[in-house]
Amino acid sequence: MTLLLIASLFLPLFPLSIVFNGALTTLRHPAARGALLLLWPQLGIGLLQLAPHAVPPYFVPWALLTSGLYALRLLTVRDMGRWAGLLATSGLALTWALAAAGADRADLHLFAFWFSLPHALVALLALPLSRRFGAAYAGLQGGLIGHLPRLSGVLTVTALAAVATPPFPGFFGLLRVLHVLDWAGAVTVLFIWLTWGWAATKLLQGFVFGDERMESDADIGRASTFAFAGMLGVFIAVGLYSTGGGL
Amino acid sequence: MDKLIVLLPATPLLSALLITLLADRSRRRIARLSVGFSVLTFLLAAAALAFYLAEGQPQWASFAPGWGSLYLDPLTSVMSLMVAGISLVVHVYSVRYMAEEAGYARFYILLDLMAAAILLMVAAGDLVTLLVAWHLIGVLLYFLLGHNAMRPAAQRYAFWTFLTYRLGDLPLVLAAVLLYETYGTAALPTLFERIAAAPDAHTVAGMPVLTVVALLVALAAFARSAQFPLHTWLPYTMEGPTPVSALMHAGIVNAGGFIINRFAPVFVHAGGVLHLVFAVGLVTAILGSILMLTQNDIKKALGYSTMGQMGFMFVECGVGAFSLAIYHLIAHGLFKGTLFLGAGSVISNARKHDGVPHDDVYTFVVERKPLAPRLPWVLAAVITVVVPLLVLGASRWLMGGDSVGEQGGIILLFFGWVTGAQLLFATYRLRVDSPWRLMAMIILSLIIVVAGYTLIEHGFDLFLYPDRELSERIYAAASLPLATFEVLVMILTATIVVGWIATYYAAANGRAHRGSDASPLRLAFYSLISREFYVADVYAWLTQATLGLSRRLNVWSRWV
Repeated sequence: MTLLLIASLFLPLFPLSIVFNGALTTLRHPAARGALLLLWPQLGIGLLQLAPHAVPPYFVPWALLTSGLYALRLLTVRDMGRWAGLLATSGLALTWALAAAGADRADLHLFAFWFSLPHALVALLALPLSRRFGAAYAGLQGGLIGHLPRLSGVLTVTALAAVATPPFPGFFGLLRVLHVLDWAGAVTVLFIWLTWGWAATKLLQGFVFGDERMESDADIGRASTFAFAGMLGVFIAVGLYSTGGGL
Repeated sequence: MDKLIVLLPATPLLSALLITLLADRSRRRIARLSVGFSVLTFLLAAAALAFYLAEGQPQWASFAPGWGSLYLDPLTSVMSLMVAGISLVVHVYSVRYMAEEAGYARFYILLDLMAAAILLMVAAGDLVTLLVAWHLIGVLLYFLLGHNAMRPAAQRYAFWTFLTYRLGDLPLVLAAVLLYETYGTAALPTLFERIAAAPDAHTVAGMPVLTVVALLVALAAFARSAQFPLHTWLPYTMEGPTPVSALMHAGIVNAGGFIINRFAPVFVHAGGVLHLVFAVGLVTAILGSILMLTQNDIKKALGYSTMGQMGFMFVECGVGAFSLAIYHLIAHGLFKGTLFLGAGSVISNARKHDGVPHDDVYTFVVERKPLAPRLPWVLAAVITVVVPLLVLGASRWLMGGDSVGEQGGIILLFFGWVTGAQLLFATYRLRVDSPWRLMAMIILSLIIVVAGYTLIEHGFDLFLYPDRELSERIYAAASLPLATFEVLVMILTATIVVGWIATYYAAANGRAHRGSDASPLRLAFYSLISREFYVADVYAWLTQATLGLSRRLNVWSRWV
């Protein structure tokens, strides 16, 4: 049981999730945040495998509650780094539903990866925004699409990947979770998914759309654009391959 | 054949990718490229229909063991041709319409991606592919409607649409999960075979699983096709570019009718859900028509008109006339797309000529023309009540004696009856030199339209549902108990006859305008309509309450 509780620090369950989000807030550099988002949940899955007992059933409602709470909070978060952190908490908590259903280790690692990679990319995108505007804060600089089309495009696609939009692998991970949950649990997860989508539109409206208040016209370079696009393309391809899709 | 099915969604996708890579090129080149690929997509859709007609057998092509398959059946081939056709028209229209707008390349990329997503949806051969395409349409529509990034209203209403569509995605995802868990396959042809073999296999929360699935699919369709009370987004999508409005009202909004047809083998076992579909469609048709009549903005009026038409489409599904719903959505798509693309010219003309007909006093005093005669009101009322019913009844009878006995056919006759009567009443109110001649011409037109419509609908039904047993079982599932149905028919008949006679009497005796005094009841009703039944206000309140709760939670938890 102790190991499971420690694991719930890494696959964050409220209120232990405060540690994960506190660590993300403490880390200032977006790259460090990205690395934490990628590695932290994988440690949690490693600990889960070491636990001598199966995950008790009451972890599932606890996980759903955590996921729902953080999804709700996500709606009014404007700082992009924190947004990535809260979304990751909401998404990674769902790993417990799969673990409670007896999913194998590889599946759990993959599931956590499907959810944490786009969040890490969102955290990384805070870097070019902070460099240009001093902060990656939704609503501070609107209308990026007019002057920074590449950055806007990358930000938009990454945000869509982060909220499990198909054909990104998070969507197929979510279908897997729905498959193992009961009726009420599945409905809860779907509403959480809806809330993520709502939060993503709010984030995009704060950065990409709206009035232009530009102080910088320097878009990200072609190389960076291709790097992000390539990474997301590979992410989709690997996701489709591993979930059995062929298109 | 497999390659042809894949090429249908792949061609616009390739166009979008090429435009992304060539985004720095001139606008003319981008437009040429996109339009060229649209022409190719249309030709491929026509070829797919021709192949189906030649082979006469549905084709299912899978590209992976898990999911990722396409299905070419009559529904896919017809819908693909319609989608590709409307997409082509919108592409061509946008070449000049969007020429002065920012984000020209982005617009064409989104338009191509949307065409690919819709074609993938109509050709999806398994549940997961269908879900992916269904969801992507909502996401792409959000970006198309919000194309003008500087307009707050465009962003606001794009968001409304997105949220409603996401809400509608949820039941479809649940339905897919339930079907997969129950029947162990995601492939649509296999799934439908297993459903036919074991329709009562499982229950969910004490209800047959197919009833629950049908209900969930219907809910998804309600959100996608703007059924009451999930309609508020539709009239406001006019804030998007006109080509997007045309594409949406002519194509995307019809997805509800498509999805119900796609899951027809499920609805066969869910008669109660079909009754619900009928009721929701009827309410939507009535409210949409009322709201349309009170608009003073042509595009918003067209928006509510679409809502009313979608209501009729669901009424058709609710009575079991699934193929008629597809015919309706194609016909509606074509005429509504034309109306949207022509709306700009109408507005331009209206600035020069208001087009308001002169009233009787003006004609008599200013133009010095005597008032033209009218038909005797009793005779006109009798013609109005009897002629449409005879025309419709005869046309249904000609198509086969059995169809008259189908309850669905009889209910649709009522709609046709009221519509025809409305047309004749409008003719009666006109003051023309030769009212008999006009009435005869109108009746002749009515006969041609109704006979043509019935013939095409009959042929369409044979094409879409070659399995006649399935078609008959859908009608049977939608039927009410005979005694209830007969009572309803008698009440409706009496209401329509008495209503029209009263209307004619009031019009003939000049009472039509006397009630225009602003009584408190009328004012209350008008304010209810002008606030669009307060549905949007309720949603706005719910949204604000949720955001308020989110803010409080963040403050309490000190943002960690």
